[in-house]
Amino acid sequence: MKKPFKALSAAVLASLLLISCAAPQAPATQPPAVEPTTASADPTTVAEPTTAPEPTSAPVAEPVTLTYMASQDWIKDAELELAKKFEAETGIHIDYQIIPADQYFALLKTKLNAGEATDIFGGQSGKTDLKLQYDVENNAVDLTGEEWTTRMDPNALDQVSLNGKVYGAEIWDIVASNYFIMTYNKVIFADLGLEVPTSYAEFKAACDTIKGAGIVPIFEPISDGWHHVLWFPMVGPRYEEVTPGLAAQLNANETTFAESEIMLTAMTQLNELYQSGCFGDNTLSDAYADTSKALASGEYAMSVATLTAPVSMATDFPEAKAEDFGFFPIPLADNQLAPAHPAGPSKFIYAKSPHIEEAKQYLAFLMEPENLQYLLDNTPQFASLSFSGLTPKWTAEQQEFMNTYEVKTIVYQDAVNYVNPQWMDIGKDMVTMFTGGMTPADVLAAIDQRREEMALTALDPAWK
Amino acid sequence: MKNQAYPFYFASGALLLYGVFFVLPSLLGFAYAFTDWNSYTTDVHWIGFDNFITIFTSTKGYLRYLQNTVVFTVATIVLKTVIALGLALLLTHGVRRLANLYRLLMYLPAVLPMLVVSLVFASILDPATGLLNTSLRAVGLDLLALRWLTDIQLALPSVIGVDVWRGVGYIMVILIAGLQAIPKDYYEAAEIDGASGWTVFTHITLPMLMPVLTVTTVLNLLYGLKVFDIVYVLTNGGPGRVTETVYTAIFQDFSKGRYGLATALSSLLFVVMVTLGYYTIRLMHREDVS
Repeated sequence: MKKPFKALSAAVLASLLLISCAAPQAPATQPPAVEPTTASADPTTVAEPTTAPEPTSAPVAEPVTLTYMASQDWIKDAELELAKKFEAETGIHIDYQIIPADQYFALLKTKLNAGEATDIFGGQSGKTDLKLQYDVENNAVDLTGEEWTTRMDPNALDQVSLNGKVYGAEIWDIVASNYFIMTYNKVIFADLGLEVPTSYAEFKAACDTIKGAGIVPIFEPISDGWHHVLWFPMVGPRYEEVTPGLAAQLNANETTFAESEIMLTAMTQLNELYQSGCFGDNTLSDAYADTSKALASGEYAMSVATLTAPVSMATDFPEAKAEDFGFFPIPLADNQLAPAHPAGPSKFIYAKSPHIEEAKQYLAFLMEPENLQYLLDNTPQFASLSFSGLTPKWTAEQQEFMNTYEVKTIVYQDAVNYVNPQWMDIGKDMVTMFTGGMTPADVLAAIDQRREEMALTALDPAWK
Repeated sequence: MKNQAYPFYFASGALLLYGVFFVLPSLLGFAYAFTDWNSYTTDVHWIGFDNFITIFTSTKGYLRYLQNTVVFTVATIVLKTVIALGLALLLTHGVRRLANLYRLLMYLPAVLPMLVVSLVFASILDPATGLLNTSLRAVGLDLLALRWLTDIQLALPSVIGVDVWRGVGYIMVILIAGLQAIPKDYYEAAEIDGASGWTVFTHITLPMLMPVLTVTTVLNLLYGLKVFDIVYVLTNGGPGRVTETVYTAIFQDFSKGRYGLATALSSLLFVVMVTLGYYTIRLMHREDVS
């Protein structure tokens, strides 16, 4: 009985070996390649024998798929629709790879360093990021001279440019989506007899009153790693107001974060808000994606959010009304200035991509005026875009904020070098501060230390 | 040497491949650990022990990450071995009915990808909406509904707990194979001599199982020292940096373009792994002989 079994096994194995050694065949679903034919279309006519026959059809090109990696929330649904339209028009498919925000930059840097980035990659604009995070001069395609650069907001264009060359496309709302400010529930404030605070002391008192009423004062999603950092650099215009020229001095390495009294005040006040329970019990596990749900629930009175947050919330939760929410600047260090922030998520074409022309074609398509207007009209998070010739859609509350709070200088992640690239590290230090492992002064000193490391690596003349 | 069934040159092909693709890159890695190799410049300079000095003296907490790695490794070795041994004994000498079904159920978590396990547990352990705390609150145990992954005291033990849950079935299966290989004659002789259950365990089961325990311990040791994915997904090293391990730090340094420093850290861990692995095997073999 054993011999036939062995013989059968040997036969099966030999067959498998032969099959596996056989030349691979084209999959059945692959469209057959068209052979260039030398025959005339008309079978009755005979080709001239002395002239070389012209092929009547070119070989079918492989369908192109552009890979595109971006952080969570950077790709809006309207862009996905535009990508479908682009594919219908050109046959070029866009393969989006959306990465959780807390892992994005580490993964992007790893891919760039390994030489394996996607055809298009997303990144925050800003000169330090362009130079240090993405090394755009080596990793991104020079887009200077593209038609759409003439229509982009000059401030936004400056943030995606390095040494006079444009490397990125910033299709973003640099006002409504970039101004991270306190979004507050007017109904809760009115019920508790609270006014919009104009100083940190008033703000802290309001938080205590709200907490006393059994409502969590602020929805602060720390688990994402980036959101709670906003509190600090978004107050940059106030630091600049109190200490004129501070950003320039920091960039010239003439002073440090640790030496700034106003920054220490802001960091200390932030720590005080956490320690006094203003962020609630679940803040370390809360996620930014739940902001709309939290605001709509009425269980939270405020959150650091964009000017379009209430509109997004009302889209997701129709029972909640966008007009029930108002805005005021983050009041750390008694700040009352609007956080002008021209840098934002941008699109870069990878220099080693085999599909650079197709990627340029896609960016040009996205930035056709009618497509930009479509993106603007169909994205609740946008009220305007960083391009001229479009029709914005400001709400009364957004307009009121812009009329009330002055724009003086830009936020510190844009104004001060080597801050934005260490965003997630600052976030970790802040959590360590919240949990008692660091003091506010330690956090500032750690920022200085990382700035110095980056500056030395970048051979910054100010650090020599 | 003459007793060998096959001549040495039979292994030369494998050794050559191993040397080119494993040993040589490792040695090159050691060399780069003494340089300032980074992503911002193409120049690489020899900087001696600077990277190692940074690891041992900087305020960035590398020693804390090393400590976390060791704590994770020791805790998972002890917990997995003890629990797996108990389950293996139970499912070999205790439970008879449906024993194979129970073995299968215990082994199932090992089949799941670590990423899936981590994402599931991140949801289960959410302090506000997670299954664990919701269940505890439902039965009135509100005091036990803790912030499993966000409390600085509980985060690392929680990660260890999830890893033990996933890994114990795998170790159990290896130990069951070891237990089944122990000849029944010993147990029959002990029974005739009137030996107690504890005496049988300490004088027959444990010594006979020692080679298998050596294997599982070394496997757990190497796995524990290399831990990355479960920490990365469950806590991403947080809250703050309290659950960072050596490999999450290497990943961060590499992703920030600090190749030299990351390589130094990696080389250091390699030395620790080889040393600990070698002495563990020697120690356990010595006990085995004695």
